[in-house]
Amino acid sequence: MRMSGFSARQAAPAIGLVVGLALGLVYTWVVAPVELVNTHPVLLRTDYRWDWVRLAALSYVADGNLGRARARLAELEHEDVTSAIQILIEEYAAAGRPAEIMRSLTTLAQALDVHTPAMLVYLYTPASSPPAPVYTPSPPPTPTSSPTPAPSHTPTPTSEPTHTPTSTPRASSPLPTPTPEPTSTPPPPTPTPPLLSRLQLAEQEQICKPGQTEHIEVVVRDERGAGLAGVVVWLMWPGGADRAVTGLKPQSGAGYADFNAERGVPGSVNYALGVGELGMPLVTNLRLEPCPVEEDEEPLMGSWRIVLGPRPPETE
Amino acid sequence: MSDRARRWVMRATVGAVVGLALGFAIGWWLWPVQYTNTAPAALRQDYHDDYVVMVATTYEVERDLEQARERLRLLDPEEPTAPVVELAERLVEVNGSAEDITRLARLAWALGALTPTLTPYLEDQP
Repeated sequence: MRMSGFSARQAAPAIGLVVGLALGLVYTWVVAPVELVNTHPVLLRTDYRWDWVRLAALSYVADGNLGRARARLAELEHEDVTSAIQILIEEYAAAGRPAEIMRSLTTLAQALDVHTPAMLVYLYTPASSPPAPVYTPSPPPTPTSSPTPAPSHTPTPTSEPTHTPTSTPRASSPLPTPTPEPTSTPPPPTPTPPLLSRLQLAEQEQICKPGQTEHIEVVVRDERGAGLAGVVVWLMWPGGADRAVTGLKPQSGAGYADFNAERGVPGSVNYALGVGELGMPLVTNLRLEPCPVEEDEEPLMGSWRIVLGPRPPETE
Repeated sequence: MSDRARRWVMRATVGAVVGLALGFAIGWWLWPVQYTNTAPAALRQDYHDDYVVMVATTYEVERDLEQARERLRLLDPEEPTAPVVELAERLVEVNGSAEDITRLARLAWALGALTPTLTPYLEDQP
């Protein structure tokens, strides 16, 4: 009896404690949890965090402000920054985005100590001048109450004749000068750009040989159609890149290089092909496709043979 | 109620109060709810503003209006253009960065939400 009275005395505060604790936790965790305001980018959900990195990187492309980009990314884990920028660069490379944008992105990546194979193509390439040119939407119709008047465009009369002989004096000239314009002066010679910068897709042929491994062959030719050895060729895809040099398999020709394309689900990977240090992919959206087969034949995934040749130099 | 029962209730009440205090201390201070998967709408004002500026700046590179709208919808699902216009007008008031205001004005215009305050920033463009 005594024992039982002692137990009851002990049980009362214990029961109260448990009930109170349970009520307290329910209130603080469920009814009135910590207020969800004034959070930081580092607390964002992973996809939002990565989008924050993407926004910061693309803003750098537009404004070229490295300090601002660093400040925007400073709070985030380096792993997040690395992954998001790698994906962005690889995605943009595979999509064949302009080289100026790629150079800006790789400059930022380098500054942030982020490395990905896809950016190698764009490194050490002389850039024109960062930041990259960006799209400027055409301004809307000017409202009549505009406080800043747009500069008026005064038309200048052009009275230059178009089909008159060159010896005819110009109508707008106050003094009739009979000096005939020279007509037989040859135009100054325009330097031909280097062959690599003139390469373009010349042929694309599907290869369907039973038993073949999925691959991409590249042949680089010069103006005369001869294979060009020693050309660095890049194959890029979302998540990676591979590099080959033409001429390392002489039995296949001097301008020949090939890449293994057995990655992911066949036909699901989007490839881009670039050459040298030019930074601009020459072939984009390259996917392996099934070969046409007869009903009784085994399905076969085709490979590609890509021939790159120079476009003729522009003549004036 | 007997004396004994009254004492029992007293003790239980004291226990409950102590438990409640413990619960509050654990739930709000020692071990609060951890928020790690927040959305941009919960960002602190300065980050929130920077997010809007980045959306406007990125729009100039990506040219993807729908993508910009989607991002802004994370801040204001009902009226996604509101954060752009609100920030741009606030920057105008405080003499903020003209470049940022111009970018915001361009996005506002593209989204069909340009206001008279922002119009001059479009016209200044070449």
